[in-house]
Amino acid sequence: MAKVIIYSTDGCPFCAKAKSFLTEKGISYDGIEVQSGSSVWEEMKKKTGSGSLPQILIGDEPVGGYSDLVNLEAGGELSQKLGLAEEGKGVPLYDVIIIGGGPAGLSAAVYAARKILKTLVVSKDIGGQVAWTYDVDNYLGFSQVDTADLIAKFEDHVEKYGVEKLVGAEVKALELTGKLKKVTTVDGDSYLSKTLIIATGKRPRPLNVPGEKELTGRGVTYCSTCDAALFEGFDVAVMGGGNSALESVFDLMKVSPKIYMVSLTSVTGDEILQDKVMSSPKVEIFTEYKILRIEGESSVEGIEIESLKTGKTKKLSVQGIIVEIGLLPNSELVMDIVETNRTGEIIVDSRCHTGVSGVFACGDVTNVPYKQIIVAAGEGAKAALSAYDYIIKQR
Amino acid sequence: MSKQIKIYTNPGCPYCKMAKEFLLKKGVEFIDYDVKNDKDAREEMKKISGGALRVPVISVCNEVMVGFDRGRLEQALSCLEQSSKIE
Repeated sequence: MAKVIIYSTDGCPFCAKAKSFLTEKGISYDGIEVQSGSSVWEEMKKKTGSGSLPQILIGDEPVGGYSDLVNLEAGGELSQKLGLAEEGKGVPLYDVIIIGGGPAGLSAAVYAARKILKTLVVSKDIGGQVAWTYDVDNYLGFSQVDTADLIAKFEDHVEKYGVEKLVGAEVKALELTGKLKKVTTVDGDSYLSKTLIIATGKRPRPLNVPGEKELTGRGVTYCSTCDAALFEGFDVAVMGGGNSALESVFDLMKVSPKIYMVSLTSVTGDEILQDKVMSSPKVEIFTEYKILRIEGESSVEGIEIESLKTGKTKKLSVQGIIVEIGLLPNSELVMDIVETNRTGEIIVDSRCHTGVSGVFACGDVTNVPYKQIIVAAGEGAKAALSAYDYIIKQR
Repeated sequence: MSKQIKIYTNPGCPYCKMAKEFLLKKGVEFIDYDVKNDKDAREEMKKISGGALRVPVISVCNEVMVGFDRGRLEQALSCLEQSSKIE
């Protein structure tokens, strides 16, 4: 980047404005203090042809005062003069980039757009974890709503404000320590922003056993709502001992001849659900068992489990596996930069600040308790307002 | 070549509904197969996808996608424009 010099003096409002403008854009500069009639003033006059303040030089070229600077920016010439046009050719600059398109990210997008912040949402999908369930009964204003309809409403709301969206894009790298945050996608495209909001949510915790990756979508599923119906007539293993696992077993009782429930611990879900599941002759429960491997060539054929108490192993013939062993926060990209708790959730304060200046987080990826759609949406709003406050204070 | 898109769905699956709404929004025609209730469709879905037990399965031109990936589907839809140009 070309060197920027600004000649200024104390008490000159346009000097202060020019400096804040540069700071806000993340452009570093050397400030030279000038007194009228001094030798520095003479030097400035010689270099710029003007005696008024401020005077700004980009490289060796005098570009004038504050209003000239703003005009250059408006005309798109500033980055060219700075040499940024070559360096970061076509790298767009945003006020806020939001990573994640679930309720937290989309709510942040609405709040940011309403503050007239130039906003970009980068997300693999729209809806996030909301799409894992068929309907929602506890979002204010909707006593029952189909999730696909709710997600469509979220997206329509964001679209109303003309927020730019990059859906289907996966973020590969983040540079967060500088004044401008840089987001690079797997496709190699980069975007710059004054602030970043991380709203990446959670994903199902995998079993991490041999055969799992290869057979995902071929009998292994993490979305019971979506795929359990395809297991009609199959013997199925449900991994996990909580409510989600019990609900999966309950759904399968209608379509599967035999259901095995395999859990590392004792079954912990709601008692009413436990009673229903345990009284079914179709269901066999293995508590304090771990899974060793999933077997099958082109589809699931069985699993091998091991008793934690006796070490004895057992093979179960199943054609379907539903994994319900909890969730993992999608915080890997920032794990080394922001502070996380033991489970990998990003630690935020009551205003969604992470420890890194200009970087905010909200929703299920954070340590905020109660993972609910309405909580995530509220946190998203807070993150956007905090990002706005941050930008205002930089001016 | 007007009905080149087939989508295999489960009525209870939100991703399936989202995929169909996306196609509707794009204004493209598609045939929807309910694999929960139609066993033949379920078998066909498995056959064209190399054994997928996951919905939705979407077949666009000669490409078969397992799961709803909006970016990938959007890209796949470009084959429709190309084929209509050839026509």
